[in-house]
Amino acid sequence: MQRRSFLTGGVALAVLSLTSTAWADTRDEAAKRVLNNWYKLGLELVRHTATMTPPVASRALALMGIGAYEALVPEGRGLVSLAGQLNGLQTLPDRAPGQGYDTAVVMNGVLETLVQALFQNTGPTGQHATQVMTAKMAEQAAEGVAADVVAASRSAGVGLGRAILDWAATDGGAVIENQGFPKEWKPKGTPGEWLPTSKISLQQAPLLPNWGNNRPFAMPASLPCGIADPTPYSEEPGSQFHTEALQVYETSKTLTEEQTHIARFWADDAMLTWTPPGHWVAILMQVAEERGLDLSATVEALARMGIGQADAFIACWAAKYRFDTIRPVTYIQKVIDKAWVPILNTPPFPEYPSGHSVQSAAGATVLTALFGEDYAFDDHSPTPDGVPERSFASFWAAADEAGISRLYGGIHFMPAITEGQKLGRCVGQFAVDLKTRA
Amino acid sequence: MRKSLALTLVLAMPALAEPVVPQFQDQTATSGVVHSYEGDWQFMVGGGVAAFDCSGDSLPELFFAGGTAPAALYLNESKPGALSFRAQVAGLEETRVTGAWPLDIDSDGVMDLVVLRSGEDLVMRGLGQCRFERMNEAWGFEGRDLWSSAFAATWEKGADWPTLAVGTYIDRKEEAFPWGSCTENLLYRPKGQGFAEPLELQPSFCALSMLFTDWNLSGTPSLRVSNDREYYKGGTEQMWHVPPGEAPKLYGKEEGWKPLKIWGMGIASADVNGDLFPDYYLTSMADQKLQTLAEGPGKPVFKDVAFAMKATAHRPYTGGDERPSTGWHAEFQDVNDDGFVDLFVAKGNVEKMPDFAQNDPNNLLLGGEKGFTEAGDRAGVASMAMARGASVVDLDGDGRLDLVVANRHSGAELWRNKGLGIGGEALGHWLMLAPVQEGANRDAVGGWIEVRVGDRVQRRELTVGGGQGGGQIGWRHFGIGAEAAAEVRVIWPDGSEGPWENLAADSFYHLPKGGAAVKR
Repeated sequence: MQRRSFLTGGVALAVLSLTSTAWADTRDEAAKRVLNNWYKLGLELVRHTATMTPPVASRALALMGIGAYEALVPEGRGLVSLAGQLNGLQTLPDRAPGQGYDTAVVMNGVLETLVQALFQNTGPTGQHATQVMTAKMAEQAAEGVAADVVAASRSAGVGLGRAILDWAATDGGAVIENQGFPKEWKPKGTPGEWLPTSKISLQQAPLLPNWGNNRPFAMPASLPCGIADPTPYSEEPGSQFHTEALQVYETSKTLTEEQTHIARFWADDAMLTWTPPGHWVAILMQVAEERGLDLSATVEALARMGIGQADAFIACWAAKYRFDTIRPVTYIQKVIDKAWVPILNTPPFPEYPSGHSVQSAAGATVLTALFGEDYAFDDHSPTPDGVPERSFASFWAAADEAGISRLYGGIHFMPAITEGQKLGRCVGQFAVDLKTRA
Repeated sequence: MRKSLALTLVLAMPALAEPVVPQFQDQTATSGVVHSYEGDWQFMVGGGVAAFDCSGDSLPELFFAGGTAPAALYLNESKPGALSFRAQVAGLEETRVTGAWPLDIDSDGVMDLVVLRSGEDLVMRGLGQCRFERMNEAWGFEGRDLWSSAFAATWEKGADWPTLAVGTYIDRKEEAFPWGSCTENLLYRPKGQGFAEPLELQPSFCALSMLFTDWNLSGTPSLRVSNDREYYKGGTEQMWHVPPGEAPKLYGKEEGWKPLKIWGMGIASADVNGDLFPDYYLTSMADQKLQTLAEGPGKPVFKDVAFAMKATAHRPYTGGDERPSTGWHAEFQDVNDDGFVDLFVAKGNVEKMPDFAQNDPNNLLLGGEKGFTEAGDRAGVASMAMARGASVVDLDGDGRLDLVVANRHSGAELWRNKGLGIGGEALGHWLMLAPVQEGANRDAVGGWIEVRVGDRVQRRELTVGGGQGGGQIGWRHFGIGAEAAAEVRVIWPDGSEGPWENLAADSFYHLPKGGAAVKR
């Protein structure tokens, strides 16, 4: 459908005095408000839904991005559907010929459907907020739009959302039990393997050990991005492993205030923050706002970012459970200093590679492709401890800092960061390579 | 110290290695109590029960928050062995009530009640015969129109009127984005025979439980605040210095206070590890916390020993629902009278959160030398109702601790402690004690009771606050195991120490300041 024909459906009399172009611009603004509000709520629901550990959140944000993007594809904007490009996604619903559709109402229908389903595990406040948002957005999106257009558009949006959910139902990440922690788990007894790092009962097993088996989005299912083996485990002083552990230990003893801020700024803990994938989506939204991106470019960027993040977690988790390596806190307390405690909470899953490094590199790859190598920006993302915002000369500067923050935080050895970044860069490129423009 | 008592008890009570599991009999159906906590989003927290005597017969009445339903007072007409209550119109039948705590505010010997609401809070003066009147205006109590969710009280040094702390929750107007909208907690200090304009305890982080407690035995209680991390941004658990006559000040990192972010819902305190300092149980979702003082009285550094003490109570232990638990009211009491404090935790899903257990049984964790042992199912109190508040209290005047639990969307439940183990074994002996002093603060809030058996001392701080949505004032219960008597003394709020007195077991005693214990 061409954009002009998209506009010729039954629009309300109240807006007939506007030119088609002006009306379209108005509807794009309305759709952007819908998009921004649902994303704002989605990020809060990431923070406030126990199921939403970082891998799970990355999947939800990917599906939201795809939904928002595909809502515009039939509108003749020159956008190319991701159906046929994403693994397992063959087709998406067609729209009725001759029927007028409204961008904002379609956008609202798809995001409402996705948010309600993806965050269905949220608590009563999240449910209440979602209900309030549903009512407000439905009213705002439909304002000034003829009833038959609203009905058709809503149906199209909801149908698209459901189709995306149907596709996602088979990707391996749709059902999360016990917040992602296996009910039974025993260590293998291998030196250097991951062991629980807290006394929290739920975390006596590692998080989402099968997440790496999920169907990727844009990345081939063969997981073609390789990663070097981790440093061989050794407790021998002078060994490479011991030296890397000493680096973590000694860094922790000499942390500057700046390094402490960096560690806390990027902590992005599950259930306390928007999590790492939410953080990078938030960066994108800040940049989109700053650059005044139009609706098409915004949803295109959100789709690529979401897909890149989701694939990064799949690749990272596959590697984590292939190598199953020990965390610094476990090693250092056993071998170097039994009283040592890192400044960050150690996440409950294997160490190598660093999840932050993989997904930040994927995020930087996507954003650099969209906005350029030297795009300087301020990151206003909220942090739980009120750490001041940080400024970066480029997306890669931010990704580098996110990576090294895990060394400062005492939860990763250096190779997990450097090799993780390589992995993330490779994975992110698949999102960049998606064809979105005709 | 603990060893010697253990030896004594082992000799006297062969079952001590495994705590005796007391038999509780569900008497809900015949109790006469028909009350549930109702309402939707604005009443997902709160829903407590207050236990206190307002009729003068020494038996505790029960006052239940009702949410959208009217709150209700039930007059206690129980006889030993039979719990019996009758609803009484008391002037307290407000809607939007989230919780209540009894407190003799004007020290006239008649219990008053602080009523928290999702709306204006109320101070209600007891008139006797379980009648109450509003005193907000007469006592200068502002009672701001907020979503109130936590309460604690103390008498600051030298004061003849109490200081009240009211914790509040979410800004009710922020329906679409309520996160980060925590409203201000309030500190009402005395002004003559009333209250001054409240101080705002900022930052406030959506408090669900508060407790004035002298964590390091300094003589000046601090205010612990347990906060719900679901709603704050940049928040943490808190503790305030509350020096008399000075502005409250948060304990900070420089003093050793460590940030802890939990879904804080309830505080219970008791000396669990025998070091004579109060330990703190903090209810939350999934793992609950049990904090003991880690570096002595000089630094507010606490370590979590819940895992080591088998008190995490993190998921249902019966019923087949293996999702993580949600803890609310918690209370330390000795229900089997073996001399070790036990722990009751009211459990229940917030509403229908799929990530957390829907069938979430209440916990009855029996204390012992090596930590706690779950016995809720064996004792008969493992209800799957959506619990919120509770009180572990002697309802029928037989000296054994009974149990009342307030539930959301279903009726309150009452269990009578039969005074026997589930195998017919005898429970331990007990003492019921009520310190009383002339003048202000008649119930000696902020003081301590010590009960000594051999060289082991049980020490209990007399507090008002904590829990979830309610608390109790009345007889203070101590189990003393196989001993026929124990030594007892009171450390009064002014720091003066009463004499040790040897009291025979299984009796009720008033402990007047400056006088000998009076057996009831």
